[in-house]
Amino acid sequence: MAVRAQFENSNEVGVFSCLTNAYAIVAVGGSENFYSVFESELQDVIPICHATIAGTRIIGRLIVGNRKGLLVPTTTTDQELQHLRNTLPSEVKIQRIEERLSALGNVICCNDHVAIVHPDLERETEEIIADVLGVEVFRQTVADNVLTGSYMALSNQGGIVHPKTSIRDQDELSSLLQVPLVAGSVNRGSPVVGAGMVVNDWLAITGLDTTATELSVVESVFRLGEMAPGGAGGAGVNKDSIVESFY
Amino acid sequence: MKTTWKDIAPVPTHQEFLDIVLSRTQRQLPTQIRAGFKISRIRGFYTRKVKYTQETFGEKFQHILDGFPRLQDIHPFHKDLMNTLYDADHFRIALGQVSTAKHLIETVSRDYVRLIKYAQSLFQCKQLKRAALGRMATITRRLKDPLVYLEQVRQHLGRLPSIDPNTRTLLICGYPNVGKSSFLRNITRADVDVQPYAFTTKSLFVGHFDYKYLRFQAIDTPGILDHPLEEMNTIEMQSITAVAHLRSAILYFMDLSEQCGYSVGDQIKLFHSIKPLFANKIVFIVVNKIDVRRPEDLEPEYQEQLQEILKAEDVEMLQVSCTTTEGVTAVKNAACDKLLAERVSQKLKSGSTAATPGSRLGDVLSRIHVAQPMGGLRETFIPEGVKDLKKYDKNDPNRRKLERDIEEENGGAGVYNFDMQRDYTLGNDEWNHDKIPEVWKGKNIYDFVDPDIESKLAALEEEEEKLEADGYYDSDESVEDVEDADNRLKADLIREKRVLMRNEAKMRKSLKNRAPIPRSAKSKKLSEMTRGLDSAGYDNAAAGSRARAANQPRGRTTIREPTADGDAMDVDENPKKALVRALSRGRNTPVTDRRLDGITSFGNRDKAERMAKLGQKKMNRMARAGEADRHTTASLEKHLYSGKRGMGKTDRR
Repeated sequence: MAVRAQFENSNEVGVFSCLTNAYAIVAVGGSENFYSVFESELQDVIPICHATIAGTRIIGRLIVGNRKGLLVPTTTTDQELQHLRNTLPSEVKIQRIEERLSALGNVICCNDHVAIVHPDLERETEEIIADVLGVEVFRQTVADNVLTGSYMALSNQGGIVHPKTSIRDQDELSSLLQVPLVAGSVNRGSPVVGAGMVVNDWLAITGLDTTATELSVVESVFRLGEMAPGGAGGAGVNKDSIVESFY
Repeated sequence: MKTTWKDIAPVPTHQEFLDIVLSRTQRQLPTQIRAGFKISRIRGFYTRKVKYTQETFGEKFQHILDGFPRLQDIHPFHKDLMNTLYDADHFRIALGQVSTAKHLIETVSRDYVRLIKYAQSLFQCKQLKRAALGRMATITRRLKDPLVYLEQVRQHLGRLPSIDPNTRTLLICGYPNVGKSSFLRNITRADVDVQPYAFTTKSLFVGHFDYKYLRFQAIDTPGILDHPLEEMNTIEMQSITAVAHLRSAILYFMDLSEQCGYSVGDQIKLFHSIKPLFANKIVFIVVNKIDVRRPEDLEPEYQEQLQEILKAEDVEMLQVSCTTTEGVTAVKNAACDKLLAERVSQKLKSGSTAATPGSRLGDVLSRIHVAQPMGGLRETFIPEGVKDLKKYDKNDPNRRKLERDIEEENGGAGVYNFDMQRDYTLGNDEWNHDKIPEVWKGKNIYDFVDPDIESKLAALEEEEEKLEADGYYDSDESVEDVEDADNRLKADLIREKRVLMRNEAKMRKSLKNRAPIPRSAKSKKLSEMTRGLDSAGYDNAAAGSRARAANQPRGRTTIREPTADGDAMDVDENPKKALVRALSRGRNTPVTDRRLDGITSFGNRDKAERMAKLGQKKMNRMARAGEADRHTTASLEKHLYSGKRGMGKTDRR
């Protein structure tokens, strides 16, 4: 299932929310519309948490998490950490980390098995990521961008990377991650796919500007809705036609 | 690239052409000219006429030349097609004649403009202009045939179908009457005429259809007969042109039933004779009319020949019946698939070096590439609840109550404050809304709060109120003392004075429609100066007397000094003084200024001068030398003193 949503007229839903297989975290906004999009899609399957980080709403860029854990930056206040702890399931480990690159969502991109991180991240942080999130950690860039979390959206079933990523880079990343990857965009051509959408194994939420084509790419690469392994969709896009008409 | 020429402007006939140009000259230029005008003006008038006519001619001719395609600039297919249809030589010559005419008219114009420069009269100018326009008209009249031809070409060209030589194309060719047009009708929406006689199709027809989200064009060609290229007529040559130049999949249609009137042997022969044109193209042999006769029923001799072709030429055979539409889609799909695969492989081959990131092909390829990992896929963690999750429906009466609905019930966004602690998982829901100690830097803030703070604040507020009531805070500002008041008074006076001065200066400066006069040039009365000095506190006596002295005329006074006793005779009292005075003066220097003679005061002098001027007024008007001038000039008839004189006629007047 892939749906479009907007946070207070902004299409960058990945900035204001964080979605994993075990919980979802949504920024505190002026109204409850954005929260209710998550509520209606997730219902009671996983808990949804209203939160702020260091008093800001850009939580999706500041925190990173998966099924097993959640990492928050050093700027998080004790109250906020307490609130997260109280709301999230007790199996989820929460860790505040001292890291110079404090926008963890921008520099770390992970699913439940692997994390691709900024090459300049500290060694301690790398260890904490491996321990708390239970993943293998690779230092990599996406299309020569160090902000892996911004330019890549990843789930256990697939991933989208910056639209200008070369074929070789895609293959390399795919072999590291062991998931299918495509180069794509969201929000009518925006290359910051990580900030433009959130995704887990059965749901993707993208910005409201996302075109139908972009959404169908999202659904097929993340195997959502009808594109899921048992779904009805999946008619292959004709590669020849695309080469013929675009080149 | 241009594939149609529907927008060529109509080409007028030579007669229309002349009418257009000459009437435009007549309408756009001035028409009034008189013999009495200056000759340069007359020449300019006619020069302009000639030049303007030439420019209009040139513009119209250039328009024609620009409108038609230049054969060397267009795609070889269109070039050859135009050659077949309109004869390239003829076309080129016609355009060449138009171009020559343009140059000739320019030359004529140049020559006649030069001649007009030396024309002496209106009549000469006019004749030269007539000659120039006449010669231009003659040149145009000679273009009669080319213009008619070009108009015909234009009309035909506008009706040609738009064939893009580079796009995906299926080309249908074969003998006449084998079912080419009916196949085109079947696969596209083109409304092609289908008749049971040969050469129903006399030109190229284009239909379009979609396959795999791509637009294909199918071209129906006129039938070809098997004879040498030189003997082919225009209709057949169009087919040959299309086959030769278009990058396409060629569907060679055959009719095994021989209903078309040509034997299978002939059809195979034709294939062999036009085979050289199929080089580097995808070729299919399409057997039509299989409802009548299938290839299997063919004589073994022909079957063998057919198989030979299929084997030797890498040609595929397809079967179709246009009447029953059997196999139509199969033929279309097979042809399109092969064509597409061929085109894509060529593109990838040509772009293989360019398939680096950043290049266009590289961009496209990287966007449609799905990087698949080598090993197995990752394990997913989809909770059980997801499978039987009911889709949220806004219109369902039993729908789940969302936070948004709660917000609406409680006053909407901005009013409602959501309950942050509602969803806490603390083990007991009653604990959710317990107060949480606020911890700051590891310390519980409550530990540092004075328990009596409320009462202390209340006490403080009470004391404050009391003080206020007692008038403790009332201000006790003293009245200003005498010195301050004095200062204020003075300051007020100064301010007022400054305002007055400013106003006065403004009044002074406002010109009120008078010329600005610099201050230095303005006369100023002595009285004003003394008043000014007085008010500024200076002594004005010295300045006043100096100014008065400066105003006195120098030299001898003109007014006789009264003698001591008024009645005494005027006597030289000192002869020596008189002598000195006599010696000191030049002879011719007047003793006195005549203007001042006999005048008692300055006022009188002015009056006298005014009267003198008044008396002179009439003399001046009548051009008299003086009061005594009584001269009367000879009175002549007008014709005697006006007009030009001819040679030697002066004495006749």
